[in-house]
Amino acid sequence: MEVKKRYWKGLEELKETPSYLQNKDSEFPSETSIEQFLSNDQLSESSTGRRDFLKFLGFSVAAATLAACEAPITKAVPYVNKPENVTPGQATWYASSYYDGSSYASVLVKTREGRPIFIKGNKDFGFTNGSVNPQIIASVLSLYDGDRLNAPRVQGKTASVSEADKAITAALRKATSIAVLTPTVISPSMKKALGEFSAAFGAEESSRVSIVQYDAISYAAIAGANEKNFGKAFIPSYDFSKAKVVVGIAADFLSTWLMANEYAPQYAQLRNPDAEMSKHYQFESILSITGSNADVRVQLKPSEITSLLSNILTSLGGQSSVNSKISPALQKAATAVVGDLKKAIGGSLLVCGTNVLEDQLLTNAINEKLQNYGKSISLVSELNLFRSEDVKANQLFDSIINGKGPDVLINLGANPVYSHPKGAELKKGLKAMKVYVSTASYADESSAVATHHVPDHHLLEGWNDYMPKTSHYAIAQPTIRPLGNTYSALESILVWGGLKARPAKTAESTVAYDYIMENAMASNFVSSKEDFNATVHNSCKEIKSEATPLTFTAVSIEGKNIPTPSGLEVVFYQKTAIRDGSMSSNPWLQELPDPISKVTWDNYITMNPVEMDQQGYNTTYDQEHGLSMATITVDGKTVTLPVYPQPGQALGTVGIALGYGRGASGEAIGKGAYQTKEYGGYDLDSNGKKKGIGQNVFGLLPVVDGRRLFSAGAKMAKVEGLYSIAATQIHHTVMGRDSIVRETTRSIYPVGEGEARKNKNQYNPAHTLQRLNEHGHHEEAPVSEFDLWNAHPVENVGHRWGMTIDLSTCIGCGSCLVACQAENNVPVVGKDEVRRGREMHWLRIDRYYASDQESQVGKKKDEHSFNYTLAEKASVNPTVVHMPLMCHHCNHAPCETVCPVAATTHSNEGLNQMTYNRCIGTRYCANNCPYKVRRFNWFNYPSYKKFTEVNPAQDDLGRMVLNPDVTVRTRGVMEKCSFCVQRIQSVKLDAKKSAQPVKDGDLKTACSEVCPTNAIIVGDWNDEKSEIRKSSKSARSYQALEEVGVKPNIWYKVKVRNQG
Amino acid sequence: MQKEAAIREPLILGHKTYHDVTEDVCRPIEDKAPKMWYILFSIALIIGLYGVGSICYLLGTGIGVWGLNKTIGWAWDITNFVWWVGIGHAGTLISAVLLLFRQKWRMAINRSAEAMTIFAVFMAGTFPLIHMGRLWVGYWVLPIPNHFGSLWVNFNSPLLWDVFAISTYLSVSLVFWYIGLIPDFATIRDRAKKPVAKRMYSILSFGWTGRAKHWNRFELVSLVLAGLATPLVFSVHSIVSFDFATSVIPGWHTTIFPPYFVAGAVFSGFAMVQTLLLVMRKAMNLEAYIHTKHVEYMNIVIMVTGSIVGTAYITELFISWYSGVEYEAYAFLNRATGPYWWAYWSMMTCNVISPQLMWIRKLRRSLLFTFFISIVVNIGMWFERYVIIVTSIHRDYIPAAWSMHYPSHIDIAVYIGTIGLFFTFFLLFARYFPVLALNEVKTILKGSGQSYKESPDYHKHH
Repeated sequence: MEVKKRYWKGLEELKETPSYLQNKDSEFPSETSIEQFLSNDQLSESSTGRRDFLKFLGFSVAAATLAACEAPITKAVPYVNKPENVTPGQATWYASSYYDGSSYASVLVKTREGRPIFIKGNKDFGFTNGSVNPQIIASVLSLYDGDRLNAPRVQGKTASVSEADKAITAALRKATSIAVLTPTVISPSMKKALGEFSAAFGAEESSRVSIVQYDAISYAAIAGANEKNFGKAFIPSYDFSKAKVVVGIAADFLSTWLMANEYAPQYAQLRNPDAEMSKHYQFESILSITGSNADVRVQLKPSEITSLLSNILTSLGGQSSVNSKISPALQKAATAVVGDLKKAIGGSLLVCGTNVLEDQLLTNAINEKLQNYGKSISLVSELNLFRSEDVKANQLFDSIINGKGPDVLINLGANPVYSHPKGAELKKGLKAMKVYVSTASYADESSAVATHHVPDHHLLEGWNDYMPKTSHYAIAQPTIRPLGNTYSALESILVWGGLKARPAKTAESTVAYDYIMENAMASNFVSSKEDFNATVHNSCKEIKSEATPLTFTAVSIEGKNIPTPSGLEVVFYQKTAIRDGSMSSNPWLQELPDPISKVTWDNYITMNPVEMDQQGYNTTYDQEHGLSMATITVDGKTVTLPVYPQPGQALGTVGIALGYGRGASGEAIGKGAYQTKEYGGYDLDSNGKKKGIGQNVFGLLPVVDGRRLFSAGAKMAKVEGLYSIAATQIHHTVMGRDSIVRETTRSIYPVGEGEARKNKNQYNPAHTLQRLNEHGHHEEAPVSEFDLWNAHPVENVGHRWGMTIDLSTCIGCGSCLVACQAENNVPVVGKDEVRRGREMHWLRIDRYYASDQESQVGKKKDEHSFNYTLAEKASVNPTVVHMPLMCHHCNHAPCETVCPVAATTHSNEGLNQMTYNRCIGTRYCANNCPYKVRRFNWFNYPSYKKFTEVNPAQDDLGRMVLNPDVTVRTRGVMEKCSFCVQRIQSVKLDAKKSAQPVKDGDLKTACSEVCPTNAIIVGDWNDEKSEIRKSSKSARSYQALEEVGVKPNIWYKVKVRNQG
Repeated sequence: MQKEAAIREPLILGHKTYHDVTEDVCRPIEDKAPKMWYILFSIALIIGLYGVGSICYLLGTGIGVWGLNKTIGWAWDITNFVWWVGIGHAGTLISAVLLLFRQKWRMAINRSAEAMTIFAVFMAGTFPLIHMGRLWVGYWVLPIPNHFGSLWVNFNSPLLWDVFAISTYLSVSLVFWYIGLIPDFATIRDRAKKPVAKRMYSILSFGWTGRAKHWNRFELVSLVLAGLATPLVFSVHSIVSFDFATSVIPGWHTTIFPPYFVAGAVFSGFAMVQTLLLVMRKAMNLEAYIHTKHVEYMNIVIMVTGSIVGTAYITELFISWYSGVEYEAYAFLNRATGPYWWAYWSMMTCNVISPQLMWIRKLRRSLLFTFFISIVVNIGMWFERYVIIVTSIHRDYIPAAWSMHYPSHIDIAVYIGTIGLFFTFFLLFARYFPVLALNEVKTILKGSGQSYKESPDYHKHH
């Protein structure tokens, strides 16, 4: 019998309840059927139907999913095909030429992945010998300025180039008079094009076209004087390397006068104290860079210059009918100058920086007397720059102001509204013009009112040719495809003259290139296409000049017809960084401390502190205490500026820098050109316009005989209130400390070796300490022999990177500082942060004045009566020493021991390394650094709103200038000079690849590379034959703060002044 | 039980019984808080929150909101840090060192002095944290195993020593303070009527029953902790001083710093104890327990440490000249006559001259005068740190880098904020914790209580 197990679902089944039995066969135990449920009336009353609900649900899920999936789009486009000459991670260098209206140089442009990021001088080709200036180095940043126009405009509205061309050509055809206003043209092709353009509108004399060259800074008097003396208006080439005696009179020839970047290395050739040294006298009112380097600097008023020149000329036996009477102090200096000049006949040079014809005639006569023509002054090689036609320009401007102007004005980038004394009236005149065409890169003061604007390329974007000197032909090649829809001005002129057609694909236009090449061949600058290509490769070539040397004809020099001011005189000078103001929107340049005053982001009235004290002006300032304000009135025109205490300023004179106050009407001239507020954003005036930086004083320039003069009689009045000033150095003397800068004179450090220089104790004393010798006697031993620690094993093991800086040849120009900023992505922090003492420059140039307590900078007159309070004050006319200072890479680095997380450590090559990623930001290292070279990221400079207007790293375009080899630092970390470790690594890798040791000279840091005077030498100290090793062993070499015992890897060399 | 000479002033005034002691200490906790407490607490809390807000702004924006610059990397931040650490010295000194020296007068003040210490160290600890540029990676100062490879902390760095010194000091002080609180919490627990309070104090008192065994262990632990804490009193500030002493900066690089800093710390710590207790004894009716004699004792400590500090100042000054080192000599000349002369002379007046007035018995026993001097001393000690830190680095080796320091409003807000927070904590302590070590005080009632000293029985034993 089968026993079957029985399973039941519940008690209901077991008990077989009636309800169970009733529902047992239905699948769903529901009492209401689905139909019944769905037919419920209440259900259909709800507004959302089931289907709708499902739709909504589906959509929301899909939408939410899609939203969550979206990733931020980063535009990193990889190369599909490797472009020629571009290897990611490898820099490509282009030889090119730089000309911006005030500087010229043969340059090398570094590009990375197609972006130009660094400019340095070309040491192999060109007469500038690899010398550049801060503006040239910084120009690479201007390329990425978002305010640079990126498309043509017609009547202020963006338009296509064909539209603009059509309108311009039509207007030109109708015009009865056409004027082309341009900064000095040194391009032979442009000259030719302009000639052809003129010819297109009438034959030579009857052409409807007039071409006027106009520069902000005029050297018309030099050309004018030469016209009288030589029968030809020209500016000669000077050669300072042939001048054993240099006399500068109000000419800042190492920084802003003519081709200063050409002169600086020439000058430096004769400034090496280990060989024959030139003697440099400087007479000036403001303290210029050149004056700070002079062996003897004499203060004088501008009104005394003519008499001084006349005095020198007559003392040399020349003829002058100008009053030669000068003050006793000047007479004494003049006698010394004449004495030295007489000893150096044919080997001297006297230059004068005024724009007064008589001064230049006297200068010529003196140089002729000294037989300098044909030697230090070339009569064959003429300088083609700075050929501003002041008289013609004045006529043109007057005509425009009076509404009689040409029917069409074409402006090729001059900015007279800003830089001409009649700028304001001129602006009204320009505004009233019916057809005003501009090719300027910006809608600046002059070009904002242009009716038609076809912007030119940045100079790194297009082809150009230059003839800076009569015997020198140079090419500028593009290093990047134009960033915007810009058009070569050369091409535009050719198009508007009906000589060439605008190509359809404008970005690939070869019009300018073809024209330049054809012209080069036609003019015999090059012999063939290959020769042209070779010239492009080298950027320049010397060409034969058939000019015969000119002969000097003496002219009688009458008294000058400019009024001699009796009271205060004001000198208008150019600052190294800003010069004529054309690049004042460049944040690197605005933040470059003036080499003398160390002030950034401002111009001001310089005045001797002695006079300021007498007249009740505030002479002490720091981050919270500003400067007194004053007005300067010249001929009824007034500016209000802060008064800066400038030791060395001639008594009875004040100085004001030109080049400031740009964009005063809110024109879009570039990122760094305006004042910003404390927490970011532009500081707007009551009309909602941006405020320019500083004040424009071009309007104050007197005009005599059509020439603008750079000094004038003035009235000064104090204004209530203080003005905050952003200076990177607020203490100016070295307080008699002898182990920071060392300065000596030629009499203590004479020419010669061995015996002659036995007195090292006098010019470069060693620091010693006492110790017990084995006999138990005290003996003096050099501090380097005392050591509490085990030394880092860097000597004679592998590499040991080191640097020497020669204080004798360093002129303090500031090029190294800008180069460092460009190379190392150093952020710009703006005026307010600089004022707070937080500039980020890895390399700074300390500038020290001598005080009355010191015989030289750093040398106490008397050890016992030395007064520290008095030592804080600079002398009335102090000697000046510039000292570049960066991380010293100490082998016993005090910063390394104190970091709690070991973020800064020593490499086995002697480098003090900073690991940003590890840094927690205690700032202990910075406090413990004796040189105070460490810089802290107080804010997030690449993103914090305070820096949007100043830091290039905050916009997409500006970021393109960043060096991809160097990290951009975040907030809260410390940074400092790395000795350009990225370059060291690259040099080592190259050496490794070629299986050769690193060659001496392969490594160049950014600072050493751009130094115009080769004052900075870097290299491997362990390489016994290296330049650096030799240099560090020089009798003049010392280590700053050696007695602290930190064992730095930087040596300085004693500054020698050629004084008796 | 230890007995004291009758001629010694009694430490407990009035005819207090054991029960009176309990009542006096517990009443403020059990009663409703007076209106004044709420007012003070609100003010302290508002100031404290303002400080917290400023710290948030600082952390969100960057260290640049302070007034520091390329030359002066530390100013108010580290000044405040050292100042608070200094203040945090008195508590442990009183409870540990004086315990070892069997100074019975410490019993009336050690509880609140220790509380003050702990709160002060909290405040002090804030500054090294917030002064970091990147607080979020601040844990890298701890030698913890990490995934960064072989990265380890730098044991050469005095800042790292600080981390260990401060954290050790804080933990030992906290434990020491808490151990002392246990029997007193038990007393409050036993008296508490409200269930929540009873539960809370019951947890806090760790099941203390007052058995002889408990007391025995209590005494032993106290002694061991005192032994541990005593070297810490000296090590903490010595190590803080190493931040400066091991550097190369003239004015910082000074071997005299460790003892000088410790003396200064005790000096300022006692001054802060005076400031707090003189108010507290009045507000909480504890005049019988903390009275002129206690104040006088503390004033003597202030006078002695003040004299040590003064001697150190003058020694420093002399050595700077005697060393013949240009930079050293100038650093001190600059302190006294440079742009920060006012800070230096404020420091000299407050720290060297004012404590010398304590030689006069009348002044030393004057509560009002003591209160005034206690505040003066703490102002002076703040200036001392400011002078050491700022005037040394604002003009060190390279004159071109010389600079000035001006505080920003955030500098001030953060500092004032920590004072607010400190008082917030202290007021909470005074409200909910026994401010007097009541069980310890009871042990000296018969030995040093006025009523016992005056009773005829007391003299019989001698």
